Amino acid sequence: MRIKVDVDLCQGHSVCVEECPEVFDVREQAGSYHQVVVLMEQPPEALREKVMNAVRGCPNRVIRIEE
Amino acid sequence: MSKPIPKASGAKPEVGHMEEYQINQPAFLKRIRAECGDLAEYNLMGQPHVLMSGPDAQEAWCRAPDEVLGQSAAYKGIVPIFGKGVLFDTTLDRLKQQLKIQVDALRYQNMKAYAQVIADEVRDFTNQWGESGELEMVDEFLRMTLYTSTSCLLGVDFRRNMTDEFSELYRDLEHAVIAIAFIDPYLPLPEFEARDKARARLGEIVEEIVAKRRASKEEYTDALNTFMTSTYTDGSTLSPHEITGLLIATMFAGHHTSSGTATWTLIEFLRNPQFMEEVKQELAEVFADGGEVSHHAMRGMPKMEAFIREVLRIHPPLSTLIRVVEQDFEYQGTIIPKGYRVVMSPGVAHKIAEVFPDPERFDMHRPEPEHLFAWVAFGGGRHKCAGNAFAILQLKAIFATLLLDFDFSLADAADEYMDDHSGMTVKPKAPMTVRFTRKKK
Repeated sequence: MRIKVDVDLCQGHSVCVEECPEVFDVREQAGSYHQVVVLMEQPPEALREKVMNAVRGCPNRVIRIEE
Repeated sequence: MSKPIPKASGAKPEVGHMEEYQINQPAFLKRIRAECGDLAEYNLMGQPHVLMSGPDAQEAWCRAPDEVLGQSAAYKGIVPIFGKGVLFDTTLDRLKQQLKIQVDALRYQNMKAYAQVIADEVRDFTNQWGESGELEMVDEFLRMTLYTSTSCLLGVDFRRNMTDEFSELYRDLEHAVIAIAFIDPYLPLPEFEARDKARARLGEIVEEIVAKRRASKEEYTDALNTFMTSTYTDGSTLSPHEITGLLIATMFAGHHTSSGTATWTLIEFLRNPQFMEEVKQELAEVFADGGEVSHHAMRGMPKMEAFIREVLRIHPPLSTLIRVVEQDFEYQGTIIPKGYRVVMSPGVAHKIAEVFPDPERFDMHRPEPEHLFAWVAFGGGRHKCAGNAFAILQLKAIFATLLLDFDFSLADAADEYMDDHSGMTVKPKAPMTVRFTRKKK
Protein backbone atom coordinates (compact mmCIF):
# COMPACT_ATOMS: atom_id res chain seq x y z
CA MET A 1 0.00 0.00 0.00
CA ARG A 2 0.99 3.58 -0.63
CA ILE A 3 -0.11 6.51 1.55
CA LYS A 4 -1.42 9.70 -0.04
CA VAL A 5 -2.35 12.81 1.91
CA ASP A 6 -4.06 16.01 0.81
CA VAL A 7 -2.39 18.49 3.16
CA ASP A 8 -4.67 21.31 1.98
CA LEU A 9 -7.41 19.63 4.00
CA CYS A 10 -5.32 19.01 7.12
CA GLN A 11 -5.94 21.07 10.27
CA GLY A 12 -3.61 19.04 12.45
CA HIS A 13 -6.24 17.24 14.55
CA SER A 14 -3.60 14.49 15.12
CA VAL A 15 -5.84 11.43 15.28
CA CYS A 16 -3.48 9.72 12.80
CA VAL A 17 -0.47 10.16 15.10
CA GLU A 18 -2.41 8.64 17.95
CA GLU A 19 -3.50 5.68 15.80
CA CYS A 20 -0.27 5.03 13.94
CA PRO A 21 2.81 7.00 15.05
CA GLU A 22 5.05 4.75 12.94
CA VAL A 23 3.64 6.28 9.75
CA PHE A 24 2.30 9.72 10.68
CA ASP A 25 3.53 12.78 12.49
CA VAL A 26 1.92 16.19 12.85
CA ARG A 27 4.28 19.15 12.81
CA GLU A 28 4.25 22.87 13.31
CA GLN A 29 4.03 24.81 10.02
CA ALA A 30 4.90 28.45 9.60
CA GLY A 31 1.79 30.60 9.14
CA SER A 32 -0.58 27.67 8.97
CA TYR A 33 -2.19 24.93 11.02
CA HIS A 34 -0.16 22.01 12.29
CA GLN A 35 -0.04 19.51 9.44
CA VAL A 36 0.45 15.84 8.85
CA VAL A 37 3.80 14.52 7.65
CA VAL A 38 4.04 10.99 6.25
CA LEU A 39 7.09 9.25 7.72
CA MET A 40 6.74 6.10 5.63
CA GLU A 41 5.10 6.27 2.23
CA GLN A 42 4.94 2.52 1.74
CA PRO A 43 4.43 0.98 5.16
CA PRO A 44 4.64 -2.80 5.66
CA GLU A 45 1.49 -4.95 5.67
CA ALA A 46 1.88 -5.47 9.40
CA LEU A 47 0.83 -1.84 9.91
CA ARG A 48 -2.27 -2.06 7.71
CA GLU A 49 -4.78 -2.23 10.57
CA LYS A 50 -3.25 0.78 12.31
CA VAL A 51 -3.07 2.77 9.10
CA MET A 52 -6.73 1.98 8.38
CA ASN A 53 -7.67 3.27 11.84
CA ALA A 54 -5.88 6.51 11.00
CA VAL A 55 -7.71 6.77 7.66
CA ARG A 56 -11.09 6.15 9.30
CA GLY A 57 -10.36 8.30 12.33
CA CYS A 58 -9.20 11.40 10.43
CA PRO A 59 -11.94 14.01 10.91
CA ASN A 60 -11.03 15.76 7.66
CA ARG A 61 -10.54 12.66 5.48
CA VAL A 62 -7.03 13.75 4.58
CA ILE A 63 -5.49 10.31 4.13
CA ARG A 64 -5.99 7.86 1.27
CA ILE A 65 -4.43 4.47 0.55
CA GLU A 66 -3.47 3.38 -2.94
CA GLU A 67 -2.80 -0.31 -3.40
CA MET B 1 -14.14 35.00 -22.91
CA SER B 2 -15.90 34.21 -19.68
CA LYS B 3 -19.18 32.36 -19.88
CA PRO B 4 -22.05 34.38 -18.36
CA ILE B 5 -23.25 33.44 -14.87
CA PRO B 6 -26.79 32.01 -15.13
CA LYS B 7 -29.17 34.47 -13.46
CA ALA B 8 -32.14 33.42 -11.32
CA SER B 9 -35.51 34.72 -12.49
CA GLY B 10 -37.82 36.80 -10.32
CA ALA B 11 -35.56 39.69 -9.27
CA LYS B 12 -37.42 42.90 -8.39
CA PRO B 13 -36.08 46.45 -8.73
CA GLU B 14 -33.99 47.62 -5.73
CA VAL B 15 -34.59 44.62 -3.47
CA GLY B 16 -33.69 41.87 -5.94
CA HIS B 17 -34.74 38.46 -4.59
CA MET B 18 -34.86 39.60 -0.96
CA GLU B 19 -38.57 38.98 -0.39
CA GLU B 20 -38.56 35.43 -1.71
CA TYR B 21 -35.27 34.79 0.13
CA GLN B 22 -36.71 35.91 3.46
CA ILE B 23 -39.94 33.95 3.16
CA ASN B 24 -38.21 30.60 2.73
CA GLN B 25 -34.48 30.65 2.12
CA PRO B 26 -34.02 26.87 1.59
CA ALA B 27 -36.89 26.72 -0.91
CA PHE B 28 -35.50 29.75 -2.76
CA LEU B 29 -32.00 28.29 -3.07
CA LYS B 30 -33.39 24.94 -4.19
CA ARG B 31 -35.47 26.70 -6.84
CA ILE B 32 -32.57 28.65 -8.31
CA ARG B 33 -30.32 25.57 -8.46
CA ALA B 34 -33.08 23.76 -10.37
CA GLU B 35 -33.39 26.74 -12.71
CA CYS B 36 -29.71 27.67 -13.21
CA GLY B 37 -27.52 24.70 -12.29
CA ASP B 38 -24.24 24.66 -10.33
CA LEU B 39 -23.82 28.44 -10.55
CA ALA B 40 -26.87 30.57 -9.85
CA GLU B 41 -26.71 34.35 -9.53
CA TYR B 42 -29.20 36.13 -7.29
CA ASN B 43 -29.45 39.56 -5.80
CA LEU B 44 -30.14 40.75 -2.27
CA MET B 45 -30.74 44.50 -1.90
CA GLY B 46 -28.42 45.28 -4.80
CA GLN B 47 -25.65 42.91 -3.67
CA PRO B 48 -25.00 40.19 -6.24
CA HIS B 49 -24.58 36.66 -4.86
CA VAL B 50 -23.72 33.40 -6.60
CA LEU B 51 -24.87 30.08 -5.17
CA MET B 52 -22.27 27.40 -5.89
CA SER B 53 -23.84 23.95 -5.59
CA GLY B 54 -23.06 20.43 -6.71
CA PRO B 55 -19.99 18.59 -5.35
CA ASP B 56 -17.47 20.05 -7.85
CA ALA B 57 -18.62 23.65 -7.35
CA GLN B 58 -18.68 23.09 -3.59
CA GLU B 59 -15.12 21.80 -3.77
CA ALA B 60 -13.97 24.87 -5.72
CA TRP B 61 -15.61 27.10 -3.11
CA CYS B 62 -13.97 25.21 -0.23
CA ARG B 63 -10.50 25.08 -1.76
CA ALA B 64 -10.23 28.71 -2.86
CA PRO B 65 -7.42 30.55 -1.02
CA ASP B 66 -8.17 33.39 1.42
CA GLU B 67 -6.74 35.92 -1.00
CA VAL B 68 -9.44 35.01 -3.55
CA LEU B 69 -12.45 34.27 -1.34
CA GLY B 70 -12.28 36.19 1.94
CA GLN B 71 -14.21 35.45 5.11
CA SER B 72 -13.94 38.71 6.99
CA ALA B 73 -16.74 40.74 5.42
CA ALA B 74 -19.23 38.00 6.24
CA TYR B 75 -18.38 38.32 9.92
CA LYS B 76 -18.64 42.10 10.19
CA GLY B 77 -21.64 41.97 12.54
CA ILE B 78 -19.82 39.76 15.01
CA VAL B 79 -16.53 41.69 15.32
CA PRO B 80 -17.55 43.63 18.46
CA ILE B 81 -18.60 40.35 20.13
CA PHE B 82 -15.22 38.73 19.65
CA GLY B 83 -13.50 42.05 20.32
CA LYS B 84 -11.13 44.47 18.62
CA GLY B 85 -8.09 42.82 17.08
CA VAL B 86 -9.54 39.33 17.34
CA LEU B 87 -10.00 37.01 14.34
CA PHE B 88 -11.82 38.85 11.55
CA ASP B 89 -10.73 42.25 12.86
CA THR B 90 -7.03 41.59 12.24
CA THR B 91 -4.67 41.21 9.31
CA LEU B 92 -4.87 37.99 7.31
CA ASP B 93 -1.55 36.86 8.79
CA ARG B 94 -2.71 37.49 12.36
CA LEU B 95 -6.06 35.84 11.62
CA LYS B 96 -4.30 32.71 10.41
CA GLN B 97 -2.20 32.56 13.56
CA GLN B 98 -5.22 33.00 15.82
CA LEU B 99 -7.21 30.37 13.93
CA LYS B 100 -4.32 27.98 14.35
CA ILE B 101 -4.29 28.55 18.11
CA GLN B 102 -8.05 28.06 18.19
CA VAL B 103 -7.71 24.76 16.33
CA ASP B 104 -4.99 23.66 18.74
CA ALA B 105 -7.52 23.70 21.56
CA LEU B 106 -9.62 21.19 19.66
CA ARG B 107 -6.85 18.79 18.73
CA TYR B 108 -6.53 15.23 19.93
CA GLN B 109 -4.48 15.96 23.05
CA ASN B 110 -7.32 18.01 24.55
CA MET B 111 -10.12 15.87 23.15
CA LYS B 112 -9.09 12.88 25.20
CA ALA B 113 -10.05 14.75 28.36
CA TYR B 114 -13.24 16.24 26.91
CA ALA B 115 -15.28 13.01 26.52
CA GLN B 116 -15.34 12.35 30.23
CA VAL B 117 -15.96 16.01 31.06
CA ILE B 118 -18.97 16.08 28.75
CA ALA B 119 -20.40 12.81 30.06
CA ASP B 120 -20.10 14.09 33.65
CA GLU B 121 -21.87 17.32 32.72
CA VAL B 122 -24.70 15.43 31.02
CA ARG B 123 -25.19 13.19 34.10
CA ASP B 124 -25.21 16.21 36.43
CA PHE B 125 -27.66 17.98 34.15
CA THR B 126 -30.07 15.07 33.78
CA ASN B 127 -29.98 14.38 37.52
CA GLN B 128 -32.25 17.43 37.82
CA TRP B 129 -34.88 15.85 35.57
CA GLY B 130 -36.52 13.51 38.08
CA GLU B 131 -37.99 10.10 37.24
CA SER B 132 -40.36 10.92 34.39
CA GLY B 133 -42.18 13.79 32.72
CA GLU B 134 -42.14 16.10 29.69
CA LEU B 135 -39.30 18.35 28.56
CA GLU B 136 -38.93 21.11 25.96
CA MET B 137 -35.70 19.98 24.33
CA VAL B 138 -34.64 23.10 22.38
CA ASP B 139 -34.10 24.95 25.64
CA GLU B 140 -32.79 21.91 27.55
CA PHE B 141 -30.08 21.26 24.98
CA LEU B 142 -29.16 24.96 24.76
CA ARG B 143 -28.49 24.97 28.50
CA MET B 144 -26.81 21.56 28.51
CA THR B 145 -24.38 22.49 25.73
CA LEU B 146 -23.59 25.84 27.36
CA TYR B 147 -22.44 23.86 30.41
CA THR B 148 -20.51 21.23 28.43
CA SER B 149 -18.72 23.83 26.34
CA THR B 150 -17.94 26.01 29.36
CA SER B 151 -16.41 22.98 31.09
CA CYS B 152 -14.28 22.06 28.10
CA LEU B 153 -13.21 25.61 27.30
CA LEU B 154 -12.87 27.39 30.61
CA GLY B 155 -12.28 24.36 32.78
CA VAL B 156 -14.22 22.24 35.20
CA ASP B 157 -13.36 24.44 38.19
CA PHE B 158 -14.74 27.53 36.47
CA ARG B 159 -17.87 25.66 35.46
CA ARG B 160 -18.45 24.45 39.05
CA ASN B 161 -18.36 28.03 40.29
CA MET B 162 -20.19 29.46 37.30
CA THR B 163 -22.73 32.08 38.25
CA ASP B 164 -25.91 33.27 36.60
CA GLU B 165 -23.94 36.38 35.73
CA PHE B 166 -21.88 34.46 33.20
CA SER B 167 -24.95 32.98 31.46
CA GLU B 168 -26.56 36.41 31.35
CA LEU B 169 -23.47 38.06 29.86
CA TYR B 170 -23.29 35.36 27.24
CA ARG B 171 -26.96 35.89 26.45
CA ASP B 172 -26.36 39.63 26.01
CA LEU B 173 -23.72 38.81 23.39
CA GLU B 174 -26.09 36.45 21.58
CA HIS B 175 -28.90 39.00 21.52
CA ALA B 176 -26.66 41.36 19.56
CA VAL B 177 -26.51 38.99 16.58
CA ILE B 178 -29.26 40.66 14.61
CA ALA B 179 -29.54 41.46 10.91
CA ILE B 180 -28.73 45.16 11.34
CA ALA B 181 -25.38 44.27 12.95
CA PHE B 182 -24.19 43.07 9.55
CA ILE B 183 -24.87 46.51 8.12
CA ASP B 184 -23.44 48.54 11.03
CA PRO B 185 -22.60 46.85 14.35
CA TYR B 186 -21.85 50.18 16.06
CA LEU B 187 -25.26 51.86 15.81
CA PRO B 188 -26.54 53.34 19.09
CA LEU B 189 -28.95 50.48 19.85
CA PRO B 190 -29.74 49.02 23.28
CA GLU B 191 -28.72 45.53 22.04
CA PHE B 192 -25.28 46.79 21.06
CA GLU B 193 -24.81 48.76 24.27
CA ALA B 194 -25.61 45.64 26.32
CA ARG B 195 -23.25 43.66 24.10
CA ASP B 196 -20.32 45.99 24.70
CA LYS B 197 -20.90 46.03 28.46
CA ALA B 198 -21.11 42.23 28.52
CA ARG B 199 -17.97 41.86 26.41
CA ALA B 200 -16.01 44.16 28.75
CA ARG B 201 -17.22 42.31 31.84
CA LEU B 202 -16.41 38.89 30.32
CA GLY B 203 -12.93 40.21 29.63
CA GLU B 204 -12.55 41.04 33.33
CA ILE B 205 -13.76 37.60 34.38
CA VAL B 206 -11.36 35.82 32.04
CA GLU B 207 -8.48 38.10 33.03
CA GLU B 208 -9.08 37.13 36.66
CA ILE B 209 -8.99 33.39 35.89
CA VAL B 210 -5.86 33.83 33.77
CA ALA B 211 -4.09 35.66 36.60
CA LYS B 212 -5.14 33.01 39.11
CA ARG B 213 -3.90 30.22 36.87
CA ARG B 214 -0.61 31.88 36.11
CA ALA B 215 -0.01 32.15 39.88
CA SER B 216 -0.84 28.49 40.59
CA LYS B 217 1.06 25.37 39.65
CA GLU B 218 -1.93 23.33 38.62
CA GLU B 219 -2.05 21.67 35.19
CA TYR B 220 -5.06 22.05 32.94
CA THR B 221 -6.19 20.33 29.74
CA ASP B 222 -8.87 22.77 28.58
CA ALA B 223 -9.00 25.33 25.80
CA LEU B 224 -8.13 28.20 28.13
CA ASN B 225 -4.88 26.45 28.94
CA THR B 226 -4.08 26.11 25.23
CA PHE B 227 -4.84 29.78 24.60
CA MET B 228 -2.74 30.87 27.59
CA THR B 229 0.30 28.84 26.58
CA SER B 230 0.24 29.41 22.81
CA THR B 231 2.45 31.97 21.12
CA TYR B 232 2.40 33.99 17.94
CA THR B 233 5.21 33.40 15.46
CA ASP B 234 7.09 36.38 16.97
CA GLY B 235 7.09 34.58 20.33
CA SER B 236 4.57 36.84 22.09
CA THR B 237 1.62 35.38 24.00
CA LEU B 238 -2.06 36.26 23.62
CA SER B 239 -3.36 39.13 25.74
CA PRO B 240 -6.28 38.41 28.11
CA HIS B 241 -8.45 40.41 25.68
CA GLU B 242 -7.47 38.12 22.81
CA ILE B 243 -7.91 35.01 24.96
CA THR B 244 -11.41 36.17 25.86
CA GLY B 245 -12.17 36.79 22.20
CA LEU B 246 -11.06 33.32 21.17
CA LEU B 247 -13.06 31.74 23.99
CA ILE B 248 -16.18 33.63 22.95
CA ALA B 249 -15.62 32.79 19.28
CA THR B 250 -15.22 29.12 20.10
CA MET B 251 -18.35 29.08 22.25
CA PHE B 252 -20.35 30.92 19.60
CA ALA B 253 -19.26 28.54 16.87
CA GLY B 254 -20.23 25.49 18.87
CA HIS B 255 -23.26 26.42 20.91
CA HIS B 256 -26.40 26.78 18.79
CA THR B 257 -25.01 24.48 16.13
CA SER B 258 -24.42 21.67 18.63
CA SER B 259 -27.57 22.15 20.64
CA GLY B 260 -29.74 22.32 17.50
CA THR B 261 -28.14 19.15 16.20
CA ALA B 262 -28.66 17.45 19.57
CA THR B 263 -32.35 18.37 19.43
CA TRP B 264 -32.72 16.94 15.94
CA THR B 265 -30.75 13.84 16.85
CA LEU B 266 -33.19 13.05 19.64
CA ILE B 267 -36.23 13.74 17.44
CA GLU B 268 -34.86 11.60 14.59
CA PHE B 269 -34.14 8.74 17.01
CA LEU B 270 -37.79 8.84 18.05
CA ARG B 271 -39.03 9.15 14.47
CA ASN B 272 -36.87 6.19 13.41
CA PRO B 273 -37.15 3.62 16.20
CA GLN B 274 -35.62 0.82 14.11
CA PHE B 275 -32.40 2.86 13.75
CA MET B 276 -32.48 3.83 17.40
CA GLU B 277 -32.57 0.13 18.30
CA GLU B 278 -29.46 -0.48 16.20
CA VAL B 279 -27.60 2.33 17.94
CA LYS B 280 -28.76 1.11 21.36
CA GLN B 281 -27.50 -2.36 20.49
CA GLU B 282 -24.10 -0.88 19.66
CA LEU B 283 -24.11 1.05 22.95
CA ALA B 284 -24.94 -2.12 24.87
CA GLU B 285 -21.91 -3.80 23.31
CA VAL B 286 -19.55 -0.87 23.92
CA PHE B 287 -20.67 -0.48 27.53
CA ALA B 288 -21.23 -4.18 28.27
CA ASP B 289 -18.69 -4.08 31.07
CA GLY B 290 -20.15 -0.91 32.56
CA GLY B 291 -17.23 1.13 31.21
CA GLU B 292 -16.86 4.89 31.29
CA VAL B 293 -17.91 7.25 28.51
CA SER B 294 -14.27 7.69 27.56
CA HIS B 295 -12.76 9.09 24.42
CA HIS B 296 -11.67 5.61 23.47
CA ALA B 297 -15.18 4.21 23.80
CA MET B 298 -16.60 7.14 21.80
CA ARG B 299 -14.22 6.49 18.94
CA GLY B 300 -15.56 3.01 18.34
CA MET B 301 -19.23 3.71 17.70
CA PRO B 302 -19.66 3.67 13.91
CA LYS B 303 -23.46 3.29 14.05
CA MET B 304 -23.93 6.23 16.37
CA GLU B 305 -21.63 8.25 14.13
CA ALA B 306 -23.47 7.24 10.96
CA PHE B 307 -26.75 8.24 12.61
CA ILE B 308 -25.40 11.67 13.64
CA ARG B 309 -23.96 12.26 10.16
CA GLU B 310 -27.36 11.54 8.65
CA VAL B 311 -28.95 14.00 11.10
CA LEU B 312 -26.41 16.59 9.96
CA ARG B 313 -27.23 15.81 6.33
CA ILE B 314 -30.95 16.35 6.79
CA HIS B 315 -30.65 19.23 9.28
CA PRO B 316 -27.34 21.07 8.70
CA PRO B 317 -27.22 23.75 11.41
CA LEU B 318 -25.76 26.36 9.07
CA SER B 319 -27.80 26.55 5.91
CA THR B 320 -25.45 28.89 4.03
CA LEU B 321 -21.77 29.84 4.22
CA ILE B 322 -20.67 33.10 2.63
CA ARG B 323 -17.41 34.43 1.20
CA VAL B 324 -16.55 37.71 -0.49
CA VAL B 325 -14.81 37.58 -3.87
CA GLU B 326 -11.55 39.52 -3.31
CA GLN B 327 -10.05 38.71 -6.74
CA ASP B 328 -11.98 37.61 -9.85
CA PHE B 329 -12.76 33.94 -9.24
CA GLU B 330 -12.95 31.49 -12.11
CA TYR B 331 -15.00 28.32 -12.02
CA GLN B 332 -15.06 26.08 -15.11
CA GLY B 333 -14.76 28.96 -17.57
CA THR B 334 -17.06 31.37 -15.76
CA ILE B 335 -15.61 34.36 -13.96
CA ILE B 336 -17.30 35.58 -10.81
CA PRO B 337 -16.19 39.20 -10.43
CA LYS B 338 -14.55 40.85 -7.45
CA GLY B 339 -17.14 42.24 -5.03
CA TYR B 340 -19.64 39.43 -5.53
CA ARG B 341 -20.55 37.16 -2.65
CA VAL B 342 -20.31 33.44 -3.24
CA VAL B 343 -22.44 31.11 -1.21
CA MET B 344 -22.21 27.44 -0.43
CA SER B 345 -25.31 25.90 1.06
CA PRO B 346 -25.14 22.64 3.01
CA GLY B 347 -28.94 22.74 2.92
CA VAL B 348 -28.92 22.62 -0.89
CA ALA B 349 -25.89 20.31 -1.16
CA HIS B 350 -27.43 17.61 1.00
CA LYS B 351 -30.69 17.42 -0.92
CA ILE B 352 -29.24 16.87 -4.40
CA ALA B 353 -30.98 13.70 -5.60
CA GLU B 354 -28.13 12.62 -7.93
CA VAL B 355 -25.81 12.57 -4.91
CA PHE B 356 -28.23 11.46 -2.18
CA PRO B 357 -31.02 9.39 -3.77
CA ASP B 358 -34.45 10.05 -2.26
CA PRO B 359 -32.84 12.92 -0.35
CA GLU B 360 -35.65 13.67 2.12
CA ARG B 361 -35.65 10.12 3.48
CA PHE B 362 -33.72 9.58 6.72
CA ASP B 363 -31.45 6.57 6.31
CA MET B 364 -28.43 6.01 8.54
CA HIS B 365 -27.25 3.26 6.17
CA ARG B 366 -26.78 5.57 3.21
CA PRO B 367 -23.34 4.92 1.73
CA GLU B 368 -20.93 7.81 2.20
CA PRO B 369 -20.72 9.65 -1.15
CA GLU B 370 -17.52 9.15 -3.15
CA HIS B 371 -17.03 12.88 -3.54
CA LEU B 372 -15.38 14.40 -0.48
CA PHE B 373 -17.26 17.68 -0.93
CA ALA B 374 -20.77 16.20 -1.29
CA TRP B 375 -21.46 16.18 2.46
CA VAL B 376 -20.53 19.62 3.77
CA ALA B 377 -22.25 20.02 7.13
CA PHE B 378 -18.95 21.41 8.52
CA GLY B 379 -17.87 23.14 5.32
CA GLY B 380 -14.57 21.89 3.92
CA GLY B 381 -11.01 22.79 3.02
CA ARG B 382 -8.86 25.26 4.95
CA HIS B 383 -11.72 26.76 6.88
CA LYS B 384 -13.65 23.62 7.60
CA CYS B 385 -15.18 23.87 11.05
CA ALA B 386 -12.21 23.17 13.32
CA GLY B 387 -14.61 21.88 15.93
CA ASN B 388 -15.97 19.11 13.72
CA ALA B 389 -14.35 16.28 15.66
CA PHE B 390 -15.29 17.91 18.97
CA ALA B 391 -18.91 18.30 17.82
CA ILE B 392 -19.25 14.64 16.87
CA LEU B 393 -17.54 13.55 20.09
CA GLN B 394 -19.85 15.74 22.14
CA LEU B 395 -22.99 14.41 20.44
CA LYS B 396 -21.83 10.84 20.93
CA ALA B 397 -21.13 11.45 24.61
CA ILE B 398 -24.50 13.16 25.10
CA PHE B 399 -26.50 10.40 23.43
CA ALA B 400 -24.52 7.54 24.91
CA THR B 401 -25.47 8.95 28.30
CA LEU B 402 -29.08 9.82 27.45
CA LEU B 403 -29.89 6.51 25.74
CA LEU B 404 -28.27 4.47 28.50
CA ASP B 405 -30.16 6.28 31.26
CA PHE B 406 -33.58 7.13 29.77
CA ASP B 407 -36.42 6.03 27.52
CA PHE B 408 -37.91 8.81 25.41
CA SER B 409 -41.03 9.24 23.28
CA LEU B 410 -42.46 12.08 21.20
CA ALA B 411 -45.11 14.22 22.90
CA ASP B 412 -46.50 15.51 19.59
CA ALA B 413 -47.17 14.04 16.15
CA ALA B 414 -43.88 13.14 14.40
CA ASP B 415 -44.40 15.66 11.57
CA GLU B 416 -45.00 18.58 13.93
CA TYR B 417 -41.28 18.95 14.69
CA MET B 418 -39.88 21.53 12.26
CA ASP B 419 -37.08 23.98 11.57
CA ASP B 420 -37.48 27.68 12.16
CA HIS B 421 -36.18 29.65 9.17
CA SER B 422 -37.16 33.10 10.41
CA GLY B 423 -33.90 34.10 12.12
CA MET B 424 -30.32 34.60 11.01
CA THR B 425 -29.68 30.86 11.30
CA VAL B 426 -31.84 27.78 10.90
CA LYS B 427 -32.82 26.28 14.23
CA PRO B 428 -35.30 23.75 15.56
CA LYS B 429 -38.63 25.45 16.14
CA ALA B 430 -39.52 25.49 19.83
CA PRO B 431 -41.40 23.95 21.48
CA MET B 432 -40.05 20.48 20.74
CA THR B 433 -41.47 18.42 23.55
CA VAL B 434 -40.61 14.82 24.44
CA ARG B 435 -41.60 12.50 27.28
CA PHE B 436 -38.93 10.74 29.28
CA THR B 437 -38.71 7.95 31.86
CA ARG B 438 -35.57 7.19 33.80
CA LYS B 439 -34.53 3.57 33.41
CA LYS B 440 -34.50 1.36 36.48
CA LYS B 441 -30.94 0.47 37.46
